[in-house]
Amino acid sequence: MEQAHIELKNVSKSVLRKVNNVKVRTQILSSLDLKVQQGELITIMGASGSGKSTLLRLINRLSEIDSGIILLNGRDIRDHNPMELRKKIGMVFQLPVVFRGSVRENIAFGMKLWKNDIDLDALADDAAIPKNLLDADAGQLSIGEKQRVCIARALANQPEVLLLDEPTSSLDYKAAGKIEMLLLDLRTKKNLTVLWVTHEREQAERIGGRRLILMEGRLEEGHV
Amino acid sequence: MSEIPAIALTVLIIVLAAAYGRRFGIGRELSIVGARSLIQILILASVIIILFNLPLYWSFLVLLVMAAIAGHTTYSRSGKLENSLPLAAASIAAASLLLLIPFFLAGIFPLEPRYVIPTGSILIGNAMNVSSLAIDRYRGEIKNKRGEVEAYLALGAHPGLAIAACLKQGILSALIPSIDNMRNLGLVWIPGVMTGMLLGGADPVEAASIQIAIFASIFAAGMIASNLLLYYSTDSFFTKAAQLREDLD
Ligand SMILES: Nc1ncnc2c1ncn2[C@@H]1O[C@H](COP(=O)(O)OP(=O)(O)OP(=O)(O)O)[C@@H](O)[C@H]1O
Ligand SMILES: [Mg+2]
Repeated sequence: MEQAHIELKNVSKSVLRKVNNVKVRTQILSSLDLKVQQGELITIMGASGSGKSTLLRLINRLSEIDSGIILLNGRDIRDHNPMELRKKIGMVFQLPVVFRGSVRENIAFGMKLWKNDIDLDALADDAAIPKNLLDADAGQLSIGEKQRVCIARALANQPEVLLLDEPTSSLDYKAAGKIEMLLLDLRTKKNLTVLWVTHEREQAERIGGRRLILMEGRLEEGHV
Repeated sequence: MSEIPAIALTVLIIVLAAAYGRRFGIGRELSIVGARSLIQILILASVIIILFNLPLYWSFLVLLVMAAIAGHTTYSRSGKLENSLPLAAASIAAASLLLLIPFFLAGIFPLEPRYVIPTGSILIGNAMNVSSLAIDRYRGEIKNKRGEVEAYLALGAHPGLAIAACLKQGILSALIPSIDNMRNLGLVWIPGVMTGMLLGGADPVEAASIQIAIFASIFAAGMIASNLLLYYSTDSFFTKAAQLREDLD
């Protein structure tokens, strides 16, 4: 059988939550399994607070699993250097965060860090960032523009996998549609494996791909 | 022989201030702090008398003890961050010592306990204040900018790079009071060393020159101590796998 690109086996994760100033351990993910093939597109839905963001953060190791194992190309992610792992597994957050400086500097961050030689202008173009925005201060952009900068910035790392945490949640319908098209387009172009978290069923239907639902700490096949 | 009236005046002021302070509910605290400070300073005077008759290295030992106590104060400000007790003490001691030595190399002061102890303690005290402010702000910045720090990490940045902006902000805001003090030096206030020397009958130009040398050293010691502390504390905010810790409260 073909080796999965990403595989989660028996993964559990709990968090400490403060309730009345007492820390209570709450189980978020329990014995979760997931197999994602190279180049596959997966959408993950689930109620607010069901642990979708938590799940993505485990895969690029911004958080640590309690038990189980996560494999990238058949190798435990704990055996990767965390920095290099995160270069391979890019992430776009629910709320876009831009760094101080111009749009160009934001996008160039990963290129400088990893000494990638890519065409910044072409990348900005792919991410539908107009040329005249490139030298603007990133802090003053609209949220939709910031999100495009974050997408371009993630892609400048030349990742194999893209984790998308509701990348359109802070956008209106039209802007969301544009970003959707953009991401799907980029995915084919760069042959990316994509895990796309969304809370909208319509969006999941538009995106296509394998649909999963996070419920009671596990992933279930989505029903239409 | 003015020590008896000076102490009598102190006691009188403490008693009156404490009585007055009752209106604000700090009467008890004022009397305790006042009495405590009086006793501490008298003990210090006695220690200095003893040190005058001991070899010089004893003076440096006393300064190290002061740095350790200062380190503990800064450590408490850091939210009891892992490793930061020895780090704070070492940063404060190293920065203060570094700025203390030139006074004796340049021959500004003779290398004697009478000069080593007070100059060293001024440097240590200020390095402590700046470091406490800096680490407190650093921690606050990291907590508030969690999203930004994690955005850097998610791109594969090292922790040091991910919190560079927080570190800069921490040091900057800790130095603002010192910069303001320096700007107003001689305009709004006559600083302690110069005051002391003038009261002791020294020449005003000599007093001013020594004061400004000490002032510049204080600033430099604070900047170096806080930079050392913040730089070496960075790891304490992260796990071994370069994850920003979740328990930063
Ligand atoms: N660091 C943390 N400390 C305490 N609780 C946390 C932490 N991170 C997540 N949680 C809790 O874990 C649960 C899952 O959070 P998560 O952000 O993964 O949900 P989500 O499915 O992404 O929700 P949403 O759709 O609203 O983004 C929530 O109840 C949240 O309160
Ligand atoms: Mg979420």
